[in-house]
Amino acid sequence: MGNVAVLGVGLHRFGKFEESASEISRKAVEMALEDAGMEWREVQAVVAGSPRLSAGGFGFGLNGNEMESIFGMTGIPVFNVAAACATGGNAFSLAHMMIECGQCDTVLVCGGEKMPRGFIPRPTGAANDASDVDYLRWACVGIPNPAYWALECNRRMHDHGTTEEHLAKVVVKARGISVHNPNARYRKAITIEEVLASPMISSPLRQFEICAVSDGAAAAILCSPQVARRKMKKPVWSAASVIATGQFGDSKMRIPELSGPSSQSAPFCSEATGAVSKALEKAGITPADVDLVELQDNTPWQELTYPEVWGFCEPGKSEWMLDRGETSIGGKLPINPSGGFLSFGEATIAMGLFQVFEMTCQLRGQAGLRQVEGARVALGQTMGMGGNGAAIVLKN
Amino acid sequence: MIGTNASKTIGIPIAEGLFIDTADGPQLIASLCSCGACYFPKAARCSNPDCKDRMPIEHRLGPNGVLWSYTVQHYPPPPPAKFEQPFVPYAIGLVEFPEGLRVLGRMSTNDISVLRIGDPVRLVLEKLYGDEHGNEFITWKFRPSAEQ
Repeated sequence: MGNVAVLGVGLHRFGKFEESASEISRKAVEMALEDAGMEWREVQAVVAGSPRLSAGGFGFGLNGNEMESIFGMTGIPVFNVAAACATGGNAFSLAHMMIECGQCDTVLVCGGEKMPRGFIPRPTGAANDASDVDYLRWACVGIPNPAYWALECNRRMHDHGTTEEHLAKVVVKARGISVHNPNARYRKAITIEEVLASPMISSPLRQFEICAVSDGAAAAILCSPQVARRKMKKPVWSAASVIATGQFGDSKMRIPELSGPSSQSAPFCSEATGAVSKALEKAGITPADVDLVELQDNTPWQELTYPEVWGFCEPGKSEWMLDRGETSIGGKLPINPSGGFLSFGEATIAMGLFQVFEMTCQLRGQAGLRQVEGARVALGQTMGMGGNGAAIVLKN
Repeated sequence: MIGTNASKTIGIPIAEGLFIDTADGPQLIASLCSCGACYFPKAARCSNPDCKDRMPIEHRLGPNGVLWSYTVQHYPPPPPAKFEQPFVPYAIGLVEFPEGLRVLGRMSTNDISVLRIGDPVRLVLEKLYGDEHGNEFITWKFRPSAEQ
């Protein structure tokens, strides 16, 4: 038994929709309440993701307040948190702490967003000021987010011999799984040839190798062990939920910076790696104990790099694992049995909770044809621009 | 307006305070702290939590660096990125300077076949785009050794 239980989860299918961000969020919250067997009146607090790019939350990113007004104005405390693509994980972490320290018995965590099409742009209305690197990276270099990943990916190909086929294989694996996930946006299996025939965007990354931007929403209800015992025979436990920020001396080029150190004196991708290592430590486990990983596969580069950086395999071994099917469902370390960002596209503030939804389904044995047999421990990771990382360990 | 070379005007910098043309060639205006940390654009405060000084002073980078990686951007990103029409795919490099800093920038060539990771590159100041009034807007770029 743990200190914090995941009582219910909800997810709105990902895609492009006519309905508003608050409407798709409402559906995800409704599903989580139903899954938890709870009435809105029983929710003692809300932690909501606050979007940077889209409408919703009365236009001020007050998405939690919006949910409270939709479901009933009970006067409960509401937090609206922002951490770019790590927002969902960030919100979950705060909710976890609120339960763990005994302030609340039940907390709703939610995040829903409708994304603009195409490259994720600079926020509307941001002043074009020469002291703002996010302005300079567009104006002086013209570098969108995928090009940051492309630079790292090209270097990996140079250092480790990663091929274009390896990159395509990651997509083929993700899309192969998505066929069995009714909530995914892209649900057609795809071949290596089709991936390699998709248009080059930021070389070496092609269209199908870069996660799309989607509309989507997810929610979870966390509760104390006392409530969990009352409501459920065998709840899923949140063993650790950790957020971290970037460390000085990390050579990973952080979006939207124009420069970074050449030598590595901190963990690589320190915001993500810092969160993951602390989460494993807090949960009292090692990589060998993890049965499945949901990680932020914005591109195949992340999926190949992160397991090495986090100590799940040796540097340069990820391609070997991929080739042998070890990262597929049924392999030693299934990565993204949901189909991942590559099949869902990214609705930034929902992503940490989208992972919680998948991990909870997996640990309950409810993942259908995506089921990782005997899954008992799952790790989820998200990373957001500006140096935000989040990691969650769920156990049953 | 900076960016003048002897009597020859080379155009309007897209943003002030980022680069300068000198008798020794173009340089990036960075800052260097006593702890060794280097920043571009120049930083008013050092981010090293172990640094006692925390006050980097202005330092010029360039013109010589080494290409750490590169990518070719095949689709135009959204504003405030600006392009001449028709759009031509362009190369972006990540270049290491001896101060221990990697800097992003456009490559002066879009010909990927001359780009090699590990090759020396040279900092140059070149037009990024022009406007209908004949103004040329200048940014820093990296020229590969094969073109020098």
